[in-house]
Amino acid sequence: MAQEQNKTERSEQTPVIELRHVDKHYGSLHVLKDVNLSVQKGEVVVIIGPSGSGKSTLCRTINRMETIDAGEILIDGEHLPEEGKKLAQLRSEVGMVFQSFNLFAHKTILDNVTIGPREVLHTPKKEAQEEALRLLKRVGVDTQAHKVPAQLSGGQQQRVAIARTLAMHPKAILFDEPTSALDPEMIGEVLDVITELAKEGMTMVIVTHEMNFARRVADRIIFVDHGVILEENTPEAFFTQPKTQRARDFLNTLKGRDK
Amino acid sequence: MNIQALLSQFGEKYLLALLTTYKLTASAFILALILGTVITIMRVSPVKPLRVVADFYVQIFRNIPGSALLIILVYALPYLNVILSYYAAVLIATTLIPAAFCSEYLMSGMNTIGTGQIEAARSLGMTFLQSIKNVVIPQAVRSSVLPMTNLLVATMLTSALASQVPLNPTDLTGIVSYINTHAVGGVTAFLISAILYCGTAVIIGQVGNQIDRKVRILR
Ligand SMILES: Nc1ncnc2c1ncn2[C@@H]1O[C@H](COP(=O)(O)OP(=O)(O)O)[C@@H](O)[C@H]1O
Ligand SMILES: [Mg+2]
Repeated sequence: MAQEQNKTERSEQTPVIELRHVDKHYGSLHVLKDVNLSVQKGEVVVIIGPSGSGKSTLCRTINRMETIDAGEILIDGEHLPEEGKKLAQLRSEVGMVFQSFNLFAHKTILDNVTIGPREVLHTPKKEAQEEALRLLKRVGVDTQAHKVPAQLSGGQQQRVAIARTLAMHPKAILFDEPTSALDPEMIGEVLDVITELAKEGMTMVIVTHEMNFARRVADRIIFVDHGVILEENTPEAFFTQPKTQRARDFLNTLKGRDK
Repeated sequence: MNIQALLSQFGEKYLLALLTTYKLTASAFILALILGTVITIMRVSPVKPLRVVADFYVQIFRNIPGSALLIILVYALPYLNVILSYYAAVLIATTLIPAAFCSEYLMSGMNTIGTGQIEAARSLGMTFLQSIKNVVIPQAVRSSVLPMTNLLVATMLTSALASQVPLNPTDLTGIVSYINTHAVGGVTAFLISAILYCGTAVIIGQVGNQIDRKVRILR
């Protein structure tokens, strides 16, 4: 009993994801400048900012798809391993969903979802398949299980990509503009799946330009510009009275473009 | 001599020669595929010395004439106390050169795979070798069926190096000289071998096309 309590207490205190004073350069370009961010268990953090501001880079440093020059990144209180098996292990615990889906083109939808558990978690084939079918059903593409990615629409492919990530039972999922490559009529079906995950308490970091979705799903909004976190706010406050002029300008340009 | 006369006198020898060529070609091709795959993994590995060595390999063996390589294997290696049988020397020469081309084809097959898929594999927690095994190689292989078909034909033609050394039974090219030292086969003796080479190449091409149609990746 006491142990249980300790555990919950600890998980409340220890962020699932924590970035401390992170800096990154691409050559002479300073893409991330002293970035500090912590994401608690069950929290949904949405990253917003102009194109080229470093959102993808920020997202990708979290599972070390990109290395950093300075600072620290901790997952569940542990430092991100440099490379090798330990890094691979960590990546299996932090899911990632990409703008361009990146499904494995030569594998069926079912195999796309089972391959991670089979190879990395050594789940028996039958078990992996049963779970994959459950997940595919959950994202609404179970009827496509035996097709290959090219036979699916973009929206379906992205939902498969989410199922593929869920199959690893990740502690958190990173989404880098999951709907930016989609035709408008397919955006909703993907956002619905993500919204559902948020309700179920999945810890998520989401880069998106879908403002209504951001407002609905986020516990916290992070506004990034030129590699700096300019503002951290609740969705209500951010969208009604942003603290910085740049955030105001950014929201205004979006409004102008939308309607 | 006309074809009929040649075949009735040397038919069995032609058959043996054809089998020798097939055996050499098949063994060399399989070895070249294995070696080519290893070289390719080295060429894309994160370890720089491996990349350098593998690139160097490809540069050398893509450009060395087969007969020069065979001369080195047969006449130079004994100075290093490595003495190969003639058959082994031919097999090695016929493997090393196609392995370099195999790697080139696999590399271009890999370039059709987006880095996104590799990133996706790594984000699932696959190690470098796991992502190579599960994502890169299967796709590279499936999109290199046609070049590999050509490679098999090229390997068969390279196996004609066997005619440069004494082998018994000899290969399809070697038999032409054999006949011409034992009888007057003339250009007809060569014609029979040429037909057998061409016929085999056509069959390989057909089978290759069929396989390609089956395994081609929809994009
Ligand atoms: N691999 C790279 N090499 C060099 N510059 C890069 C690389 N990736 C991104 N950049 C640059 O870093 C900046 C931030 O990029 P990114 O994180 O993709 O921004 P965002 O996702 O907010 O649009 C941009 O100026 C971009 O051109
Ligand atoms: Mg981006």
